[in-house]
Amino acid sequence: DSHTQYERVGADVTMKCGSMDWDAAVTWTANGTDIDESHLNGSYLILKNVDLTQSGQYSCYEGSSWHLKYQTCLRVGTPPKEPVLMCRSNNYPKGFYCSWHLPTPTYIPNSFNISVIHGTREMVCEKDAFPKNRCHVRYLQLFSTVKYKVTLTVTNALGKNSTTLTFDEVAIVKPDPPESVVAKPVPNNPRRLEVSWQNPSSWPDPESFPLKFFLRYRPLILDQWQHVELSDGTSHTITDAYAGKEYIIQVAAKDNDIGTWSDWSVAVHATPWTEEPKHLTTEAQITETTSASTSSFMPPPTTKICDKGAVVGSGAVAVCWTAGLVLAAYGVLFI
Amino acid sequence: MAASDSPSAALRRRDLCSRGIRLAGKMRSDVVDLLDTYVERQGLDASASVAAVEGVPVAAVERWDEQTGTQRLLENLAAYRAFRALLAQMLEEQREQLGEADAALGRALAAVLLQVSAFAYHLEELLRLESRGPPSEEGARPPPPPHLGLFERKLRGLGVLRELAQWAVRSARDLRQLAKPSPGSSSAPSPAESP
Repeated sequence: DSHTQYERVGADVTMKCGSMDWDAAVTWTANGTDIDESHLNGSYLILKNVDLTQSGQYSCYEGSSWHLKYQTCLRVGTPPKEPVLMCRSNNYPKGFYCSWHLPTPTYIPNSFNISVIHGTREMVCEKDAFPKNRCHVRYLQLFSTVKYKVTLTVTNALGKNSTTLTFDEVAIVKPDPPESVVAKPVPNNPRRLEVSWQNPSSWPDPESFPLKFFLRYRPLILDQWQHVELSDGTSHTITDAYAGKEYIIQVAAKDNDIGTWSDWSVAVHATPWTEEPKHLTTEAQITETTSASTSSFMPPPTTKICDKGAVVGSGAVAVCWTAGLVLAAYGVLFI
Repeated sequence: MAASDSPSAALRRRDLCSRGIRLAGKMRSDVVDLLDTYVERQGLDASASVAAVEGVPVAAVERWDEQTGTQRLLENLAAYRAFRALLAQMLEEQREQLGEADAALGRALAAVLLQVSAFAYHLEELLRLESRGPPSEEGARPPPPPHLGLFERKLRGLGVLRELAQWAVRSARDLRQLAKPSPGSSSAPSPAESP
């Protein structure tokens, strides 16, 4: 007679030896190891304030014959806490996916049930093979103002919990980051870097649902990013790079009309083209650079303080500088 | 549909689509601003749920990607003609209700009404290019709204503007589909097969 028994952490557990009388002589084992008689009350096994380490196979044997009278698998765990649920459309207008997890483990098996309601209609969320805690919904309607309501319920032997998300079609649209970002120097142009990228492959129809892009770049040695927003195209030439300095560059994407920006792409590094290095000492290099009439560093054309708020969402290309950056730039030259 | 396949017609269609997409974008942006103004001036809660409003064309559509070019244009045109009438009604009610008190809201409504009219005309041009010609407007007027109290009228106005904002997004998408090279529009099963 063998089964599984689930108990909460901290509970007091009493195990009976099957149909044996209370006063029968029995021996209990836990994972094959005899349990001390101090844990027994007659033939009952008493476990007080159980913890996770007490999970295991418990067996009860009749005293003299050593017949196995009862066996149970004790699983100590907790009821589920409120699950964390996230829904996102990275393949608009095809549909969206929802994924979830528990904030803390329960140590016992859990089952998840998800329901998706759109107005009065119940929609199917097809479970993904991988990852496991994820399912996807196909949009049956587009351009709807009616919200979607997604409820996730997690249940285990000790209890259940649920959470609900309500959102409209466009609020959850967030593309994957752009792919294949490449940055190259431009021959004979010490201040330029050519950046190109591709639409994320998960975005099904970039022609009808074009993406716009946000590029950020900075020299490795500075903390402040510069930003450029691009309404179309999958390339851009940076024209104000510091000569000879290695840059880090990233791109993000967003649907032209709806939703939010993607995460930043994988970062790429590039250094603008420089002339063939001459064999000089460091000191001589500084002397050479500062006295050269065509210095490779020139003050930026404008030192206008740009309103940070104007960067995001503007249809025009905007480059932001701060006065502090200009001062830092002069310092950079002498590093 | 034969005339729409000529190179000049295709160029004209693409040009009209590009301009239409820009119009729709500007219209959407202005409707979103108008929504903010409307909510504020009418003392409404921006997150208020509004049940489907009678007589307001719903932007939601099933199998959107399977629609033919002509279907798209006809549905868009019917919608914007309806919005033209609805916004005119709202403007009239707003003037009666507030008189001179809220000229800003009135001006914003009038500006959007103008854009809606312009967009409807633009759609008619596109339909003429499809050798279809726009349908007549007889019977296209929405029924007069039921006699509503002030608050119900405000909520109805909110519903109208929200749906218009959705339409503006949809219209840009529809026009991009239309602007795609041939397979989408001219390989439609047959010109007679429209709703």
